[in-house]
Amino acid sequence: MGFDPTKDKAIEEQLVKDLQAGKVSSFEQLANLYQKNIYNLSFNLTRNATDSQDVTQEVLLTLFKKGHTFQGKSAFSSWVYRITLNASYMKLRTRKKEPNLSIEDLLPSLNGAGFQQEKLQDWSENTEAAFFDKETRRVIQKAVDLLPDKEKVVFLLRDVEGLSTEKVSEVLEITIPAIKSRLHRARLFLRKKLASYFEDYKARKERK
Amino acid sequence: MICCKECLELLHDYIEGELSAEVHASFEDHFEDCPPCIVFLNTYKAAIHMSQTTLKSNDIPDIVKERLKEFIDKNKAE
Repeated sequence: MGFDPTKDKAIEEQLVKDLQAGKVSSFEQLANLYQKNIYNLSFNLTRNATDSQDVTQEVLLTLFKKGHTFQGKSAFSSWVYRITLNASYMKLRTRKKEPNLSIEDLLPSLNGAGFQQEKLQDWSENTEAAFFDKETRRVIQKAVDLLPDKEKVVFLLRDVEGLSTEKVSEVLEITIPAIKSRLHRARLFLRKKLASYFEDYKARKERK
Repeated sequence: MICCKECLELLHDYIEGELSAEVHASFEDHFEDCPPCIVFLNTYKAAIHMSQTTLKSNDIPDIVKERLKEFIDKNKAE
């Protein structure tokens, strides 16, 4: 991943000060530091290179034009992520919405006392071979695309962009318990989608 | 003993190391005795890892990189 805001805090702080003071050179450096993160997040939301390019340009333009108005109430990176999310959602506005995720559908089948009753297949050790498989990547991307927005954004910021739970809470302005429960749901959903893929994958291999 | 359902609800906190010592112990007790939950935990972690790795690698296409550079240069000059 391009820029790690936690590691390069001092550099970031200086650049942000320069940006607030209207120094053009800091804009270019911040743009270079952040563009990969902006593009990556936007691509994972829109799954479209043209849209992601537009979003990245819009975000950079906002940094350039509004950088001096950044007040420092939250971390600069939180501000950048927030603008990126808003710009990506503008692109998505015309696309369709999905239903809510129910936790019961994502857990294995449980009996009345809360114990598992189906035999689960452990595919976790067979993932390396499948990893670079184009089809596996496609299945994963499709599963993420199917996540409802609320869960998807938490998963992308926390697990993919690697922000801390606290930072995600700052970017999205929602509580930490809500972040945790959405993240858990997203992970359960992805697990379920991958489970059915790998179970089929194994069955297909055994038939060969 | 805590049941599977409770364990599965606590997976997030378990992975993040956020369980209290007491709950952590009963969680581990349950896992010693419950192969399906072990499988669930393994596949939960594998799903996170695979999705992470896949989604982190959206490299900006060269053509887009060029356009962004032109864009930055243009704004710099204004």
